[in-house]
Amino acid sequence: MRPVFASIRELSEAIRSGEASPVELTETFIARLREHGPRLNAVVTVTEKRALREAWKAQRELKDGEYRGPLHGLPYGGKDLLATRGIPASWGAAPLKGQVFNYDATIVRRLRRAGAVLCAKLAMIELAGGMGYRQPNASFTGPCATPWSLRHWSGGSSSGSGSAVAAGLVPFAIGSETWGSILSPANNCGVAGLRPTYGRVSRHGAMALSWTLDKLGPLCLTADDCGLVLEAVAGYDPRDMTTARKRYRYEKVEGDFKLGVPGDALDETQDAVASSFKESLRVLGKYATVEEVEFPEFPYEAVTRTILNAEAASVFDEFTEKGLARGLTAPEDHYGPYARTVVLARDYLKALRLRERMARIAEDVMGGYDAIVAPTRRTVASPIDQEFRKVAPGTAKDVMGAVGNGAGLPAVSVPNGFSEEGLPTGIQFMGRAYDENRVLSVAVEFQRRTDWHRRHPPAFKA
Amino acid sequence: MDSKSIETEALFRLVKQLYGDRLSETELEEARKGVERIVETAMELRGVELGNWDEPFSVFTPYRRRRG
Repeated sequence: MRPVFASIRELSEAIRSGEASPVELTETFIARLREHGPRLNAVVTVTEKRALREAWKAQRELKDGEYRGPLHGLPYGGKDLLATRGIPASWGAAPLKGQVFNYDATIVRRLRRAGAVLCAKLAMIELAGGMGYRQPNASFTGPCATPWSLRHWSGGSSSGSGSAVAAGLVPFAIGSETWGSILSPANNCGVAGLRPTYGRVSRHGAMALSWTLDKLGPLCLTADDCGLVLEAVAGYDPRDMTTARKRYRYEKVEGDFKLGVPGDALDETQDAVASSFKESLRVLGKYATVEEVEFPEFPYEAVTRTILNAEAASVFDEFTEKGLARGLTAPEDHYGPYARTVVLARDYLKALRLRERMARIAEDVMGGYDAIVAPTRRTVASPIDQEFRKVAPGTAKDVMGAVGNGAGLPAVSVPNGFSEEGLPTGIQFMGRAYDENRVLSVAVEFQRRTDWHRRHPPAFKA
Repeated sequence: MDSKSIETEALFRLVKQLYGDRLSETELEEARKGVERIVETAMELRGVELGNWDEPFSVFTPYRRRRG
């Protein structure tokens, strides 16, 4: 059994058959986190003591015939915005370095209940990008690299979560998305990333950036793995009033899929992204009907942006008033929070009122489809030492991101090719609210017919 | 000045009054650009008409502690 780059399903079967043990797996991945984490700037804390304690517990339970499910005994990493009892959760921010909570976030508790083993807290953009960063070097741990090229960015803000999974430092990781923070690292690192429906996963114990936009979700080697993790962490939580009272079971959806592609999906995309996407459409055409769709004219970005600006200003009010932004890593984050302190209440409320209309438009457009398909990002990973806008200037709107996050819709990104310089490209499948199984099924079938997810960065081979 | 500029300058003056002492001239100029973007975004929203009955898409639930 070669555990590094094995899927959750493969590792789980190896554990059940006795071919692998939780303690061996934990030691293997901790060694890799220690060896490779610093090269990537992907790891904040290796939680070795806690990991070995959890691994031995899992091993004893399995020996006694107590099986908790497919995550039992599997190592994982959590974005450093999750509260973990006695272990720092620094939110990527130098002024909060070493911040410790005396409880575990609900998602961490649920993973422990599923038998998973917390091996590391993973690097992230400071305050999940809430101060308006414009470059990869926006974390006290330094700019996080994609394992495909140490000169290129991992994406963010769940930077370490994407990078660590892609480099085989953990079999899966937890990230968070307010607008793009799971899908972007999934794209840049060539892994699967699932943004669940808003309210599907409890946010209790996770740093808030925007209460009505924040979602927690997994980054894994495959879309199938994302479903397994989601089943373990989803569900109502009395500590988070916004969680849905809906039970989630990961199940395959059968049938002939119908997919929509926005007419402007390839506007301002890099050649490699366009080329990968066109080839992906050919693959999708073998098992799905693919049609062009149009989102009608509407200020989608303005709605989601205004909600984000207003809520982030309030969330970080004390942080801002105390002048703590001055201690952040990226220079633009020193002044970033001040402008948004003057978002007017009338505009925030207007955005909240328009959000319902946006959600109805999305439902109208998406109603006839299993998923809307588009490139995850218009670009591959940008150079690690440059501002994003200078690398990829443009005016194309991120309608998928604005609608998906503003209306709280699920989306999964999986790798679908490489650029000439060996950087991954990604494809996203976005579905209607609570349709995770549908988008995952489309993505799982895509991965059954392609092998992009079976390619791993040469510099990190086991 | 057009209405966008008037609003931008008024809101920026507030930012400057409140936080000017902790920002350099360059940073203040960047903050002014940030305010300008916020006003532009707000104007996009204001361009959409809503009816009296269009409520914010958020649910408030009255709270009552469960009997312990």
